[in-house]
Amino acid sequence: MTSLTSLDSATSLDAAEDAAENSADSITTADERSPAELAAGRLRLRRENRRLFVRRFLANKSAVIGSALLLLVAVVSLLAPWLTGRDPYALEVADRLKPPGAEYPLGTDNFGRDLLTRVLYGTRMSAEIGFVVALSSSLLGLVVGLYAGYVKWLDQILMRVMDGLFAFPAILLAIAMMAALGPSVGNLMICLTIVFVPSIARLVRSSTLVAKEQTYVEAMHALGASHNRIVWKHLMPAALSPLIVQGSFVFAEAIIVEAALSFLGAGIPAPTPSLGNLLSDGKLFIYNSSWMTIFPGLALVVVVLAMNLFGDGLRDLLDPHARRAGKKR
Amino acid sequence: MTAEPLLQIRELKTYFHTERGRVSPVDGVSLEVGKGEIVGIVGESGCGKSATAQSVLRLFDEKRLASYEGEIRYGERDLLRLTPKQMRSVRGNEISMIFQDPLSSLNPVHTIGDQIVETLRLHQSIGRREAAKKAVELLRLTGIPAPERRAREYPHQLSGGMRQRVMIAIALACQPQLLIADEPTTALDVTIQAQILELIQDLNRRLGMSVMLITHDLGVVAETCSRVVVMYLGQVVESGSVRDLFRKPLHPYTIGLMRSVPRLDGDRQRELPAVPGSVPPLHQIPSGCRFAPRCPYADDKCRSSQPELAALPGTDTQVRCWHAGRIAGWEAAQ
Amino acid sequence: MAFYIARRLLATIPVLFVLSVIVFLIIYLIPGDPAAVMLGDGASPETIEALREQMGLNLPLLQQYGRWIGHALQGNLGDSLFMRQSVRAALAEHLGPTLSLAVLAELIAVVIALPLGIRAASRRGEAADKALTGFSLFGITVPGFVLSMFTVLLFSVQLKWLPVSGYKPLSAGLWTHLQYLILPALSLGIVQAALLARVVRSSMLDVLNESFVKTALAKGVGERGIVYRHVLHNSWLPILTVVGGSFGTLIAGAAVIESIFNIPGMGQLLVNSVQRRDYSVIQGVVLFVAFAYVLVNLVVDLLYAIVDPRVRLQ
Repeated sequence: MTSLTSLDSATSLDAAEDAAENSADSITTADERSPAELAAGRLRLRRENRRLFVRRFLANKSAVIGSALLLLVAVVSLLAPWLTGRDPYALEVADRLKPPGAEYPLGTDNFGRDLLTRVLYGTRMSAEIGFVVALSSSLLGLVVGLYAGYVKWLDQILMRVMDGLFAFPAILLAIAMMAALGPSVGNLMICLTIVFVPSIARLVRSSTLVAKEQTYVEAMHALGASHNRIVWKHLMPAALSPLIVQGSFVFAEAIIVEAALSFLGAGIPAPTPSLGNLLSDGKLFIYNSSWMTIFPGLALVVVVLAMNLFGDGLRDLLDPHARRAGKKR
Repeated sequence: MTAEPLLQIRELKTYFHTERGRVSPVDGVSLEVGKGEIVGIVGESGCGKSATAQSVLRLFDEKRLASYEGEIRYGERDLLRLTPKQMRSVRGNEISMIFQDPLSSLNPVHTIGDQIVETLRLHQSIGRREAAKKAVELLRLTGIPAPERRAREYPHQLSGGMRQRVMIAIALACQPQLLIADEPTTALDVTIQAQILELIQDLNRRLGMSVMLITHDLGVVAETCSRVVVMYLGQVVESGSVRDLFRKPLHPYTIGLMRSVPRLDGDRQRELPAVPGSVPPLHQIPSGCRFAPRCPYADDKCRSSQPELAALPGTDTQVRCWHAGRIAGWEAAQ
Repeated sequence: MAFYIARRLLATIPVLFVLSVIVFLIIYLIPGDPAAVMLGDGASPETIEALREQMGLNLPLLQQYGRWIGHALQGNLGDSLFMRQSVRAALAEHLGPTLSLAVLAELIAVVIALPLGIRAASRRGEAADKALTGFSLFGITVPGFVLSMFTVLLFSVQLKWLPVSGYKPLSAGLWTHLQYLILPALSLGIVQAALLARVVRSSMLDVLNESFVKTALAKGVGERGIVYRHVLHNSWLPILTVVGGSFGTLIAGAAVIESIFNIPGMGQLLVNSVQRRDYSVIQGVVLFVAFAYVLVNLVVDLLYAIVDPRVRLQ
């Protein structure tokens, strides 16, 4: 269960079939068809599923716009060093605070650095941090949530800790931890991961609690499957699609918190171009050099918008249940 | 038809416009409710009896979901031609309705008294204090002990039977001429069921209020109603007096429904026969006679063309079946 | 009801405990010796040792926590190394502006979100509903501090309607007070309104599907009566939850926005303390806000009991 298409229908039913499939070697099935026929049929089904998924994807406006924007952000992030051919740290004292024009499309900052280059690098930094934080907090949250949901006594301990972490407003906890650890990109990633683990863990736990009660899980027990096998092979797939959706929202949220922290001087240390740092510089010159605020601000909005639209679309595609619940009359 | 008609439904069609297309849970229903009469409407779930009842009061969302066709004549007026405002003054005032589950049908955050008062003050110019007094009287009328105290309580503090009495009290508040009772006893215990039915009958006799009783329980119909309408897949398949219909059901569906009612004097060893199959979903309506796929008498004619609801000569029974005449003969021969 | 309250109170204790442990442990995230880091490079070993002693850093960990939380429960959060005052005094001094800002923002959020959400729910699928969808996307996408910088650009720099930054307490007069607060509160409030409006809409839609709405319709209640007397009254629980929960977000949001507008609130206290590595103040602010956040949520839960007779009469 790794391809996106199978995620599409990673419901408990699907997992149950999977379970039946896995135990097929030990149990004689009534099905008379040859293995080759079965495999061909399965392939056909998978192809059909994929086609259906593509059609639903194209019909989903937020998914399409979100993906397009995301692609743009990804291209900008990857190609940042080559797009303008300028160094984000290069000072041009003579060209301080130049408004947007032919030479500097987005103007320059108070040190005469090219704002466009810095915005591109800042976007890259935001995307990088968002990606790492979304990935690591998803992985950590997945482990915590799965075991909390599966092992009763662990649940009490793990979820109390998560409740405690959850009780802090995200930015506040991150500021406090950054204050202790000291500003650096690595530390920021660690702090944001800790901040976002609880929301993921809660989600995974609740889906695990439901999946655990399914009959096939009990059957797996009876067949003598190990706990770890049940957790990773049967409970994890059920949690995967809500996890991916939530992960995309964490991506967006992490970018916002990173920007806020850097803006306050508790995030990424100063000369490094990050959108928060750029906005922080912009604040000082808001009177006369509005471009220093406007462009980094817009870039931040675009990156977050891309992620949110993408997440919304993903939820519609992966988790039609949630959509229907949200849109019911 | 002995009683003077109070409500005449003619060729009523209710459409639901859903994402998957248009369906009609009520598809050309005609029926009458006479003054002071209790008419039963029976059928399995999904047959459109409840949708018919709710269509009479136009309870479906006409902005987003539903539209109606046909005629619902109530006195001089056609309810389907009324403006929303005129319709509101009919609801709860001239025609009232009670529902299946009295707990979810009562607003959990308002006291029972307040919920009765609301109806009173909507339709009558009456002071708050006087309305509250009247609410207590209504609770007393429906047989609720200690009504003064109960009026100040919330729905969840009452038992199921009490809640349905409250619903009836709300329905009676403005002395309507017609009460539509949509499965009023389905969610209740058997003993409570009998009490609620008795109350409805009693109110019918004392106040001369007509009742349209929607139920899937033929036993309830036999006990309570004078006339009965049997529905299947949004259509009336048979209607007539309770006496005739129970003595001599003519539509195969009615026959099937009757056979599935357990009888005290019946052979206990024999398995209870049910109508085979189940009601198909609304977007898969069979062509020809709608009951044909489940009907033991069905032939090619049944599968290709739809019979009309036709009166049987010499009776006020109406039936929608190609073979009604033959079935009448067969049943008589048995 | 007494049982309900007791249960809610009891459930709060472990959360507060874990929360305090986390705040306590923040000091231990400091790489190296906290006392040395706090005092900076120029400090002599004697001064460092004295501070270690004063902070109790030489005690076993458990005992340190006991001492710290014992003091905290008595309202003693330690002393600021830089401000020559106790953390409690510093908090008290900076609480007012933040509270003003958060309350005003919450007010703005509710005033915008309630009518919007109600309208969208009762006219679902229509223009008002679609506008809400766009607005809520705006709310989750545009961070409050970015929005506030844009509003500063528009209202203060371009139009010059309002002061760019600064703060005047309520004692300077309500109008003056509001003049300085309106922009930050508006930015915070609008973002919050977007989230709240979505909750209002969806919780009302949930209630609209309940059978008692059909009963009300059958009684002859009009659209307004259905929305206000029947639906809204039953939708308060999720709405209250979000309003209560947003308090924490608003305080945190205020922390960032205060630094834009130069408002001497807790956010500014926190940010300044981060720059000065004044850890006891950082701990104090974070502990205070998180405690307040949990307690506000507790109060909200207790409010349920008043709103919903099913809880009250349990």
